[in-house]
Amino acid sequence: MKLAQTNAPRNGTARKLGGSICSLVMLAVIAQSGDARAAAVPQSKDEQAKAWREIAALPDFWQGTWQSVSPIADDFPTPPDYTSAALSYIKNYKPVEDSPFANCKPLGLPFVMNIGGMPMKFFQSPGMIALYIESSGMTRFIHTDGREHSERPNPTYLGESIGHWEGDTLVVDTTGFAPDTLFQMGKLDKKTLAQGDPSPLAGVIFGTHGPNLRLVERMRLLDFNTLQIQTTIYDDTVFKRPYSLPPRRYIRGIERKNESQEWACTDNRDFLDPSGKLEYNVKDKSQSR
Amino acid sequence: MKLKGWVLLTAVLCCSSVAYAHHSFALFDFSKLTTLNGTVREWKWANPHTWLTVVVRKADGTEEEWALVGSSPNMMIRWGWNAADIKVGDKVMVDIHPARDGKTIGQLQTVFLLGGKVLADPAGQSGEALAGGPTNLPTKPQGEPYK
Repeated sequence: MKLAQTNAPRNGTARKLGGSICSLVMLAVIAQSGDARAAAVPQSKDEQAKAWREIAALPDFWQGTWQSVSPIADDFPTPPDYTSAALSYIKNYKPVEDSPFANCKPLGLPFVMNIGGMPMKFFQSPGMIALYIESSGMTRFIHTDGREHSERPNPTYLGESIGHWEGDTLVVDTTGFAPDTLFQMGKLDKKTLAQGDPSPLAGVIFGTHGPNLRLVERMRLLDFNTLQIQTTIYDDTVFKRPYSLPPRRYIRGIERKNESQEWACTDNRDFLDPSGKLEYNVKDKSQSR
Repeated sequence: MKLKGWVLLTAVLCCSSVAYAHHSFALFDFSKLTTLNGTVREWKWANPHTWLTVVVRKADGTEEEWALVGSSPNMMIRWGWNAADIKVGDKVMVDIHPARDGKTIGQLQTVFLLGGKVLADPAGQSGEALAGGPTNLPTKPQGEPYK
């Protein structure tokens, strides 16, 4: 952009025209490449007003917050069609040793959506929906400006999310995950579990997702008070075919006590020495449940 | 022994009102309720978990320090807690789920302050209960007194 302007004629009108053409060219480039670094073009007041009017017509995800009422672990009612690598991993999987929770490290997607206890909150402005996930103190940014995924998204815990509406359903497509986001790839057969293990995480198979993990979430209101999110996992290093998880549910809270709060994880005091005394901020100690 | 923050957090966030009975995390015996009578040594209001450290004087005159893990402050706030409710030096009675192995640690269940205020830990409650707030708070400790 800068280069184009420098080379533009000094004549004011021609310069302006050159700028506009340049913007159009830029837009075309953005549309083609989906490059997240491309310069944004300011919207006019009218365009912005129109965008807000369109937002007003969308299903009301916005009032209040959403509290998970689904179990923390995903269920896999239909046995997934696993790759041979995944089958071999599951065969040797030991839940006790492999429990992935450690200190204040972010869980990331997909599992962060499973953590209830603290509500989530949707926000919107033209071109973007934000979802604050209090239980991790993180915000998902879901682009709704029609862009395509970056060709080489940098890995992050929440990935790169792009959303669009299909009727009353917000469809969110996410890629670009850090390799160590918490990923549940299945559930152990109940018969193989220790008798009566009542942990909500009992039998959960956590594993490593592939670099091309892609999630497609379908979010819609069942009624004013109930939000449903159904997620399909695309990862051909784990599943031969995409796996559709059963939907999860969230209930709306509009009271002040259900408003979003800060959540900063600062206390890594999670270690007790043999006498039961607490240590502070113990890091790099793997934990098992 | 390792006490895992996240697992506790996620455990208490689970699924239904029966979740409480469903804890079997090796550390604590959720079928037991013990009442401690002591003095607050530390009250750590932090995520992922709060910690209440209480000094308990036993019948034989010796003192014990108990480290009690509570829910996330975020969850507690919605259940009526405030960080300033508890101060170092306060006398408190606390219902806890004790360690299975006899260590002086526990999972907070209910705190009874001298002024009569009762604070219930939302651990193990359903999403509905977490959004709705506590109901049927006890007015006095329900556990077996620790001596």
